Amino acid sequence: MKFNFHVSPNLKGKQTTQQIMRDLTIGLLVIFLCACIYYGMNYGMRYVLQLFLLLACSLLTTLVCEAIYAKILKIDIKTFLKNSFGWVTAIILTMMCPISITPFALIIATIFAIVIGRLLFGGFGQNIFNPAAVGRAVIFAAFAGATTDLVTSATPTATIASNYHWLPATPEVFDSFLSEYGGFWNLFLGNYPGAIGETFTLAILVVGIFLIVRHVIDWRVPVMYLGTIIVMTAIIALVSGIESYNGIPALLWYPALHLVTGGIVFGAVFMLTDPVTNPTSAAGRVFFAMGAAILTVLLRMKANLPEGCLYSILLMNMFTPMIESAMDGNQLKIAKKVWITFACFCVLALGVSFFAGSSVEPVRELNTSSSATNGATAFEMPTIQEEVSL
Amino acid sequence: MSLFLGKMCERIPGHKSATDHESILDIMPTKEVYIPLVAGNNTNFEILVNEGDQVYIGTKLAQTKTGFNVPIYSSVSGTYTGQTKRMHSSLRPQNHMVIQIDHKQTAIQAFEPIQYENASAEELLEFTKNSGLVGLGGAGFPTYVKYLKPEGIHTILINAVECEPYITADYKLVMNDPKHLIDGAKIMKKMANAQHAYICIKKNHPDMIDIVKQAAQGSDIEVKEVPNVYPMGWERVLVREVMKKEYDKLPSEAGVIVNNAGTAIELARMMEYGEAIANKIVTVSGEAVKRPINVRVPVGMPVKEIFEQTGFNTDSVRLMAGGPMMGKVIPNDMFVIDRAMNALTILPGTVDDAIACLRCGSCSDHCPAGLQPVRIANAVKEGNLEEMERRQAMSCIECGLCTYICPSHIEVTENVRKAKRALALQKKK
Repeated sequence: MKFNFHVSPNLKGKQTTQQIMRDLTIGLLVIFLCACIYYGMNYGMRYVLQLFLLLACSLLTTLVCEAIYAKILKIDIKTFLKNSFGWVTAIILTMMCPISITPFALIIATIFAIVIGRLLFGGFGQNIFNPAAVGRAVIFAAFAGATTDLVTSATPTATIASNYHWLPATPEVFDSFLSEYGGFWNLFLGNYPGAIGETFTLAILVVGIFLIVRHVIDWRVPVMYLGTIIVMTAIIALVSGIESYNGIPALLWYPALHLVTGGIVFGAVFMLTDPVTNPTSAAGRVFFAMGAAILTVLLRMKANLPEGCLYSILLMNMFTPMIESAMDGNQLKIAKKVWITFACFCVLALGVSFFAGSSVEPVRELNTSSSATNGATAFEMPTIQEEVSL
Repeated sequence: MSLFLGKMCERIPGHKSATDHESILDIMPTKEVYIPLVAGNNTNFEILVNEGDQVYIGTKLAQTKTGFNVPIYSSVSGTYTGQTKRMHSSLRPQNHMVIQIDHKQTAIQAFEPIQYENASAEELLEFTKNSGLVGLGGAGFPTYVKYLKPEGIHTILINAVECEPYITADYKLVMNDPKHLIDGAKIMKKMANAQHAYICIKKNHPDMIDIVKQAAQGSDIEVKEVPNVYPMGWERVLVREVMKKEYDKLPSEAGVIVNNAGTAIELARMMEYGEAIANKIVTVSGEAVKRPINVRVPVGMPVKEIFEQTGFNTDSVRLMAGGPMMGKVIPNDMFVIDRAMNALTILPGTVDDAIACLRCGSCSDHCPAGLQPVRIANAVKEGNLEEMERRQAMSCIECGLCTYICPSHIEVTENVRKAKRALALQKKK
């Protein structure tokens, strides 16, 4: 008879990290499937094959990088790969890129994401920045022009940012924008060009709900992130005085436009929720999400970028240790501090909204030279930027 | 669910059906019982009998010399043969009084019975003090101490929640003796001069709720149904659920005294029959037990003899004194049943499969004390005592929920324990 020793407690719950990562992978693959269907139906098989090529490049690069890392540290390679979950980073990174990106650029970005973004910090659970976002930032900085001959039309994010200052103020102007992309529902379904995975707002929301129900991601992050963006854009709509559209008041349709355009829903569900780079307390995650939302709106409305999701994530990642430390202690006893912080974030969000709403010039008349540029995605695109800022 | 707070509890599979409908098995030790000379942290006892003395059930054997007054009474009849140092369920070797049993089980009255209806609150308190009654929910804290300062107490909560998985001892006690449960509640209410007394039972025990409600008919004792979550039976969570109040250190700050259901039943029986704690109902359950069952044994019963009746399924087990969440694993079967013990849980041996923390924050979301186990663990890793204190490691009661919930299978609770040990050590210096 052997009586083993083990520290208490001696029961374990059902959910495992492996299961969390499996669910997340399934969720991402569902969105990848949507992309396959979209590109297959609109552009043909060659585009679909390109999607698989890109994903394979990123996954293989991840595999190689992690295997080498494990070899150097003399860890069992199989166990390391299994418990490092690098493939999730690879899939997210691929989905953030436009289909026109060269495999070479994606491979370099993956190396940066995996090696610098994750392994150098100590591997899974140790990294400060969202590794996929690091990889995407590398592409943004170094491979802006690295595109293949696969051509898609301009993304709505680029168009609305460059031609409409994110503020189409009258029904006519909004109609002309919508007509380029087959109407609001087309935008909602994701039936438009953009980064591979970011466009399918409806599908991403459904997957997000699935992930929330399965306790894979915390509901607070996407709900507070998107919620804050909705409130802020509604205020911007009011302040800038844009008109109602077909009887729908501006404070409803304008936030909806923000949600269906670009990558914020993808970012909210798959990137901001990355637990490794989140604060660990519930209150901390709320402030993390609110901060990211404020930055996103500010970047969208005022910066030289068509969209701020990527950078808002990276910037907020830097604040994570600070938020963590501020929210330390007994959560019941710091309740007052939490509410004060919440009020501060609300005031900040309000201020940014008023600032953006009053300082951005709404587009009230149709711009005849609304020629669109290629390949811009929500997660960046510097080429158009230069045109815009000029 | 609140925006800024996590769930602070979790539904855990109860595994109670293995034992709750089995009848209770009486087991007597073959030769000797070993009565532990332990009352909470106090092991300083004065022995009141001499070696070779004949003792009976109810003979006063010992009494604490310092600290709270806790007498210990014999649970069997036989001959006292001296003291021995044995493994105790607190994982330390402790002194035990050895009594060779004569199998006659002659009982004497340990103290005069008292009619609670006619007695004053002071008389009831004095009786409780002399009875040696300790909290039978597991902590073993002397019951009378809670009633020393009844000022401001308005509510008595009788804790019949039994939220640890596998354990059905309290369930059995209440189902077999609802009358004394109600009596005990009335006594406690009177002793504290409280206005309300609620018996808290989990919603998923409708049979227990019915039987207690029936017994409570015509009295001013009420039944409160509480959700089936862990750790509902911790007094802080219970006060939060039933009273909607938080307190800093003791429930009395919220005007509440919490007592275990077994304690209430025992108190009522003591007053009616004048007998001290002699027998314990103990749940022997878990996946590695061949015959999961509730047993009734005298205090001081060697657990080895219980296992001769219940058997094991496998050769490699984890044996816990208590439930699987808070019970301590004891690496041998040489200890005995103490007064505050109500379960032996035996699970198969296990392999550790922990992987890196993904910082999901589940431990923080579920901590019933509102702590952040992952942050405390980080401070431990850094050896940062200041942060351990700021993150309030000392408020942890080691309920084990953080380890249970951790998807990476990290021993989170043990990390917090390390912080507590480090802080306690620093205080000593």
